[in-house]
Amino acid sequence: MPLAVENLAFAYPGADVPLFSRVSFRLAEPGFHSFFGPSGVGKTTLARIIAGNIAASSGEIAAGDLSRSLYSHNKERLPGWSGVARHLARVVPPAMHGRMAELIDIFGLGDCIDSRFEQLSMGQQNRVNLIRYLLQDCDLLIMDESLANVDERTREKIILAIKAMFPQRYFIYISHNVIEVAKFCQDILVFRGRGKQPQTALVRGCDMRRAGEFSRAALDVTLLEIMNAA
Amino acid sequence: MLPRRVLQFLIIYCLFLGLLLTLKYGLALSDYVIPAPSGIYQTALAEFRQYSLATLNTMAVAVIGQVLAVLMAIGIGIAGRQSTWLGSFIKVAAYNFQAYPIVALAPILFILLGDGFLTRLLIAAMICYFPVLLSVLGIMSKPIDDIEHFYRATGRMRWQLEVKIRTFENLGQLTTVIAGSATLAMAGTIVGEFIAANAGIGYSIRIALYQSDLGKILIALFLIGITIAIYQALLESLGVVVKRAWTGR
Repeated sequence: MPLAVENLAFAYPGADVPLFSRVSFRLAEPGFHSFFGPSGVGKTTLARIIAGNIAASSGEIAAGDLSRSLYSHNKERLPGWSGVARHLARVVPPAMHGRMAELIDIFGLGDCIDSRFEQLSMGQQNRVNLIRYLLQDCDLLIMDESLANVDERTREKIILAIKAMFPQRYFIYISHNVIEVAKFCQDILVFRGRGKQPQTALVRGCDMRRAGEFSRAALDVTLLEIMNAA
Repeated sequence: MLPRRVLQFLIIYCLFLGLLLTLKYGLALSDYVIPAPSGIYQTALAEFRQYSLATLNTMAVAVIGQVLAVLMAIGIGIAGRQSTWLGSFIKVAAYNFQAYPIVALAPILFILLGDGFLTRLLIAAMICYFPVLLSVLGIMSKPIDDIEHFYRATGRMRWQLEVKIRTFENLGQLTTVIAGSATLAMAGTIVGEFIAANAGIGYSIRIALYQSDLGKILIALFLIGITIAIYQALLESLGVVVKRAWTGR
């Protein structure tokens, strides 16, 4: 069981009510999983707890074989003193440079890779940031709105490419796009509205792996389940 | 930058001179109290060379003092940026020292070290050191999370990289602080010279004061102001060049 979360709770210091409590779920297989729910329910906080950036108030996380977890988000920036290509070449292990070139092409960044980070659009910035995380040595990568500001067609292309290139890696994808989450993710941890117990529910997604390979009916069922859970 | 700085100073100086002359003629003050324009002109002709050399002497001490202060502030600021015992100690000590008027220590330095170059240099460095140190400490202690997160998460963060990121992100502020500290260094040197030194424009002002010669003091003020304006403009231009080279814009 690679990732099991049991009765996790988190409260901000001085807060009367915890942000979430008794959150339990299991991610049994590698692949694309998701945290889904409205803003402010604790998706990012839970993700940062799993990545080891902050401590939970109580509860347990059994990471099993997942020895290295990384958390990335869409507000990150690259240093501005050099171009994006130079920066990537420095932070990506040499053995992964071939894969880096492949990702740059798939992510549609070939034309702007020599620009400085601040000269890129927000969508391009997020894609560059995601590439450097994807090429790190990790077992679990949390992508918190990592594809924000990227158009739908490119997002689909990127997600399918990631799934094909890193089949043994765990991903937790945080997004507010319900169709995208339902279509591409395996297990979806739905954060329910405030006051509802339990606070989360696990829904099985369509886990689409190739373009066009999904059933409309299955997607509708998943969407309905997510809506009901929320 | 240079013409603007010089022009700004000239405007302020002329306004100041105009105010003095208005007082002189408005209150019918004698030339002994405030000299007439012709008297100021004569003094300028007589003292310009000697006062210019004295101002350059003071400026040289101030520049060396400022360089020392900035280097020390950067070194201590980098050491004090961390939330360790040493970091906290450096911050508290810097804040406490900064609250103390450094000029008040000048007599001790003159007693211990005499009235030569070293004493003037130390006073100049000490006066501009603490404001620069506080700024560097503030800049270096504040994480740039949206850039640093990746390096921390992937275990790539080194202190040199941390310093580089924080310096780069606060380059404008650092340049302003360093340019501003030039005035402090010059003021410190002049005050030191005024108290006890045997050279520099502060020493010349002290002699002019004993002679009650306002004309000489006005010429000294003009030379001090124009020198600081030029030096600050040069520092600002240097900051722009560094920023352009580093950021590409």
